[in-house]
Amino acid sequence: MTNITIAWLVLPFLLGFSIYLIPKLDRIFALGIALASGVYAIQLFLESSSLNLQLLDNFGVSLTIDRLSSFFILTNALVTAAIIIYCWQTGKKAFFYMQIAMLHGSVNATFICADFISLYVALEVISIAAFLLITYPRTDRSIWVGLRYLFISNVAMLFYLVGAVLVYKANNSFGYQGLLGSPPEAIALIFLGLLAKGGIFVSGLWLPLTHSESQSQVSAMLSGIVVKAGVFPLVRCALILEEIDPIVRFFGVASAVLGVGYAIWEQDTKRTLAFSTISQLGFIIAAPAVGGFYALTHGLAKSALFLTAGILPSRNFQELQKQGIDAKVWLVLTIASLSISGFPLVSGFEAKIITTKNLLPWQTLVMDITAIGTAITYAKFVFLPSNLLTKNAKEVVKKDEKTKIQSGFWWAVTILIGGLIGANVLYYEVYTIPNIVKQLITIFIGWTIYLLILRKLILKLPRVAEKFDHLIGVMSLMLILVFWMVRI
Amino acid sequence: MLEACVFATVLCGFLGIILKHNLVMKIISMDVMSTGVIAYYILIASRSGLFTPIVDNKENVAYADPVPQAVILTAIVIGFSIQALMLVGVMKLAKNNPTLEASAIEENNTP
Repeated sequence: MTNITIAWLVLPFLLGFSIYLIPKLDRIFALGIALASGVYAIQLFLESSSLNLQLLDNFGVSLTIDRLSSFFILTNALVTAAIIIYCWQTGKKAFFYMQIAMLHGSVNATFICADFISLYVALEVISIAAFLLITYPRTDRSIWVGLRYLFISNVAMLFYLVGAVLVYKANNSFGYQGLLGSPPEAIALIFLGLLAKGGIFVSGLWLPLTHSESQSQVSAMLSGIVVKAGVFPLVRCALILEEIDPIVRFFGVASAVLGVGYAIWEQDTKRTLAFSTISQLGFIIAAPAVGGFYALTHGLAKSALFLTAGILPSRNFQELQKQGIDAKVWLVLTIASLSISGFPLVSGFEAKIITTKNLLPWQTLVMDITAIGTAITYAKFVFLPSNLLTKNAKEVVKKDEKTKIQSGFWWAVTILIGGLIGANVLYYEVYTIPNIVKQLITIFIGWTIYLLILRKLILKLPRVAEKFDHLIGVMSLMLILVFWMVRI
Repeated sequence: MLEACVFATVLCGFLGIILKHNLVMKIISMDVMSTGVIAYYILIASRSGLFTPIVDNKENVAYADPVPQAVILTAIVIGFSIQALMLVGVMKLAKNNPTLEASAIEENNTP
């Protein structure tokens, strides 16, 4: 298993660079990488014991691979595969596939590494690859969005580095375990880096602009998997160290509430999805023990939603309400939305239930309310009129659009939705009547609130907090906040 | 004392990122900040001694800790490549925004 692990870890980088040497095989190589990760993740899942590796001597790279990682790796594999298939006919250059391969490889690396420096390297490679993907269209806007992303993540990582060396100073090791014996400022600095990178709570407010202004396949990749690279170490630390656990849970709840609070009022499809990502990441870390499964279902559903949002005729909900959307597209949107809202029959239901079961008493009420908020957010997608029901006069126009949707989209969505429904087998025992009823009531309340009140109400929230200077400034505030939380 | 200087450098860089209006200045401020971080690593490495950890015929000298140095070398390379990438981005932006005022660019490019 050790050799397989190392080979699998190196493969994306090896093939990624080979893509540049043999540009004709770009898509096949990239897809091969994703498949390899998928096979590896499944094998990892079947093996119950965890694997600890210490490469290159005492101060070298340490890896921990267990079932938690396997969920994240599987998500990465499925999302990457879906995105490559989506791009199959779009004529992207070899450069694009190379960056996808690099991104895939470095995201995988974050899911298995167990020391702060390997994590740092992986996260920085992610920043660079993501920047290159965001700026792929080479427009001024994409360059600015990418630059902003790189700037924020790099500043956050500088703080993180200071934290990492403080951990080393206290323990003479960079391992995650060292967090326990380190001074509070070390924990605060490291957390600041991870929170900003993972897009959690107010440090995650860079995320809406980045995810909404990228091309839809890139935003699917970013929202589906890349942000989880920042979240995973938090989950891991919370599981290793009990002292950290309440802090991580607190940020989970805060992030869930903040994200939903913004998402409900948003009138733009992609921004809604991006804010909902902030909120869903909160759900993942609110119950670290079962975060893996939640991340899997969220990653699949969110990528499907972003890919679909990319082919909708408009990004504005009101225009979409008037125009209506293609019935098949509507079906995809609805299944993915229902999954995130936690509707039975889709695996999001199981994820919601096991997460709720693992919450602490003080979290439960807030998270239940947030779940209703999630249902409201996704009601916006579910209640978009589909043409099958309304039979619009503009059918000719729609026909044109239908031919524009490439078959790659359908294949990609099939993988993602198939994964969402297939994942049901993992925790089928939660399908009990009280659970189903509870979820149905939550969704029903959410939809009722949406239909009766929010559908007509338009409120524009100010975007001040998303300005570049404020995003950087907020980091210092977060630093103080985390510091005091650790002290207490 | 040295530690205070190092943190002052980090702080200066951080404030520069916020307070400077020009994008290039922001990037330079980021570099100042990362210089501070690198210096801190070196400072920690020199806790146990100042000698370069190379095998020599001298006996019992206080060697510096090689691990933080090795680690920060990686970080320097990464930081440098990120900076290069950002400057390329800024060059591209400079065509349509010659003044490179961050707030103006932000206004133009936020929907």
